[in-house]
Amino acid sequence: MLIGIPRESKPGETLVAATAKTVSQLTNLGYDVVVEAGAGNAADQPDSAFVDAGVRVGTSEEVWAADVVVKVNAPSAEEIGRLRPGATIVSMMAPGRSPELLEQLQGAGVTALAMDAVPRISRAQSMDVLSSMANVAGYRAVVESAHEFGRMFTGQVTAAGKIPPARVFVVGAGVAGLAAIGAASAMGAIVRAFDVRPEVAEQVESMGAQFVEVDFESEVSSDGYAKEMTAEQEAATATMYDEEARAADIVITTALIPGRPAPKLLSAETVAGMKNGSVIVDMAAANGGNAAGTVTDQKVVTDNGVTILGYTDLAGRLAAQTSQLYGTNIVNLLKLLTPEKDGVLTLDFDDVVQRGITVVDGRDGEAAQITWPPPAVQVSAAPAAAPVAAAPAKEQKAPMSAGAKVGLVLGAIGLFWLVNALAPTDDLRRHFTVLMLSIVIGYYVIGKVAHALHTPLMSVTNAISGVVVVGALVQVASDDKLIVGLSAAAILLASINIFGGFAVTRRMLAMFSKGA
Amino acid sequence: MDILSITGAAYIVAALLFILSLAGLSTHASAKNGLTYGMTGMAVALAATVAATVDASDGLDDRALVIGLLVAAVVIGAVIGLWRARIVEMTGMPELIAALHSFVGLAAVLIGVNGHLEGSHYAMDSLNNIHEAEVSIGIFIGAVTFTGSIVANLKLSAKMNSAPLMLPGKNLINVGSLVAFAILTVVYVAVEEGTGQDIILAVLTILALALGWHLVASIGGGDMPVVVSMLNSYSGWAAAASGFLLGNDLLIVTGALVGSSGAYLSYIMCKAMNRSFISLIAGGFGIAAPAGEDKDYGEHREIQADAVAELLSGASTVVITPGYGMAVARRRTRSPT
Repeated sequence: MLIGIPRESKPGETLVAATAKTVSQLTNLGYDVVVEAGAGNAADQPDSAFVDAGVRVGTSEEVWAADVVVKVNAPSAEEIGRLRPGATIVSMMAPGRSPELLEQLQGAGVTALAMDAVPRISRAQSMDVLSSMANVAGYRAVVESAHEFGRMFTGQVTAAGKIPPARVFVVGAGVAGLAAIGAASAMGAIVRAFDVRPEVAEQVESMGAQFVEVDFESEVSSDGYAKEMTAEQEAATATMYDEEARAADIVITTALIPGRPAPKLLSAETVAGMKNGSVIVDMAAANGGNAAGTVTDQKVVTDNGVTILGYTDLAGRLAAQTSQLYGTNIVNLLKLLTPEKDGVLTLDFDDVVQRGITVVDGRDGEAAQITWPPPAVQVSAAPAAAPVAAAPAKEQKAPMSAGAKVGLVLGAIGLFWLVNALAPTDDLRRHFTVLMLSIVIGYYVIGKVAHALHTPLMSVTNAISGVVVVGALVQVASDDKLIVGLSAAAILLASINIFGGFAVTRRMLAMFSKGA
Repeated sequence: MDILSITGAAYIVAALLFILSLAGLSTHASAKNGLTYGMTGMAVALAATVAATVDASDGLDDRALVIGLLVAAVVIGAVIGLWRARIVEMTGMPELIAALHSFVGLAAVLIGVNGHLEGSHYAMDSLNNIHEAEVSIGIFIGAVTFTGSIVANLKLSAKMNSAPLMLPGKNLINVGSLVAFAILTVVYVAVEEGTGQDIILAVLTILALALGWHLVASIGGGDMPVVVSMLNSYSGWAAAASGFLLGNDLLIVTGALVGSSGAYLSYIMCKAMNRSFISLIAGGFGIAAPAGEDKDYGEHREIQADAVAELLSGASTVVITPGYGMAVARRRTRSPT
């Protein structure tokens, strides 16, 4: 089958759906590839690079007549008209927000695969464009903010005085947020971050930021996306946003809820209360923005000197690498769709990934079906609501209080005294003394045993407990035949234990020496 | 300097060597020395006791038979023990140790029975009663250790279902057995010799055997290493009880050493495996079968081998945690090789 890589028609778009590297991977899958002339220019992929990679560079007509057209942005109505019925179009489509696009695609009788509809399951991560692009965008957001921010990120102590580190507050610890955290902390800033999903706190901390806690119960996300908060939670977080934003030099907001406008997190008052010279990068600008005053694709400076960046093309500002990542996502998808590596694209609706990305099924040409939305896919390991009855039983194991411990020890010692006081002979008391001292010694001699030595220690104490043979030996000297017999049996058993135990310990310890 | 003072002194030496042995086993550097101390201590104890026995058997009718039996038992035991230790697979180590514990337990039972058969001939009644109580306690601990170790061995060697046995009211069974044991002991002590003591002791022994079986059967196979350590502790107490019975300080010292160190070791192991120690010694007391994993363990991520390789080649530090998987899976498995 022929794959066409058109030039993006969206004004200012720098990305391309394939690079010289990824087209050769596509040809390895058995496909023929034709790239529109000049498609990769803005992403440092000149036509010559494609030619060197062994694919054809052709005209726009050739590309749009291909069996499979792969692009970055959703096709325009005019582009859809150029598609052959029965062809397959692969691009980002935002299917949840663009029902008319799906209808046009259906009308054109094509199969449409939305790259931004890949279910967020582990297996599909290699083709998740939202992740790969958000990653780049998160990094770029920090770079853009650093550019606008008139000061250094890293704190320094110099002979000419002290420079405080920049304070960065990141809202939303998704892929973009985590990338921003990583980039900002690598530049030396103090980074704080918040996400409504408490389970990402660990990830936030591993990227070098401090996770901002808000006191409320939150739900674990079951589909990998954040949910919009309840009113109660919102009140608690609004205060936190306000405080954090005022304290920060740079705020990067990445809060998105799929299929809905971005939540407004930074109110006009908050923005007005921020320091002069501080910067907000609103990565949700495409969906309306998280901050008051964000203008999509624009840089806005407020009256109090706060710069708000509403760029939506952050990933496109690193065109070469983003195109490479997008292209690799495409290759991974086509690997999945071309199990035979014979250059024939096949869709398997039993596969949640393939089912999920197919928004229009046009395999039957005229009778194309809109297949969005797909059935829900669960991705989190969080358990389905646990039975409530099981909960109270878990509470009981409170650690013993210090007082109870002292009481227990004193009680045991008191009991010991009583036993000894009641013992009729000194002999018995002597035995008890010996017993008690031995118990204490036994406890202390192994106090700091190395973990690897647990089994050898067990084995050697086992061998030593074979000392019970002494008892049998003492008894064997008897006139009673039965006693002699039983003692002999006991001696036999204990001897097995002694010799076996020591020999086995010896073998174990030999394994610890070098070269064993 | 008679034979008794020589053996008495030798016992102190042996006890000291055992202490050094346990202490040595707690670090790698001193572990081999510790083993040597232990073997020397055992040799000293054995030699001294054999000498004392040979001395004590002077004047017995069939002295030759007794000494012959003694030597034969030691030699046969040594051969079996060394042979088992030599052929055992390293993965089969815990079950071997469990089996060895059962021998100590059985030996303690036999010694207790002997103590019963010999009877006590003290002038004071209270001493006779104490002797009888010691017989009863020694047999009880020994029997619990014996069957418990057998079950542990069977579970570890997968000859028995390793899932915890869930008898209804199992806690009641355990507590009831202990109460029954206490009552039987009191009765055994109270009744006169020759008036059904044999039967009481037999019932007590069977009860203890059944309890040992039930205690360990109620614990899942994954906890067996801790159980083996715990049984080790029991076998020590069994030896200590024999020591009281025979008035032998070496047995008391060594038994208590093994008993307390074994208990503490079990405790450490329980901590390491995040298990409740009390639950374990009480035979799965209160351990409901691990109820549905209703805890949120956070997000999980699957990863493929090539991605792991990529991660590893890019890592600056790699921590390898051997046994972590086993601990997580709560089981031992034989390696495929």
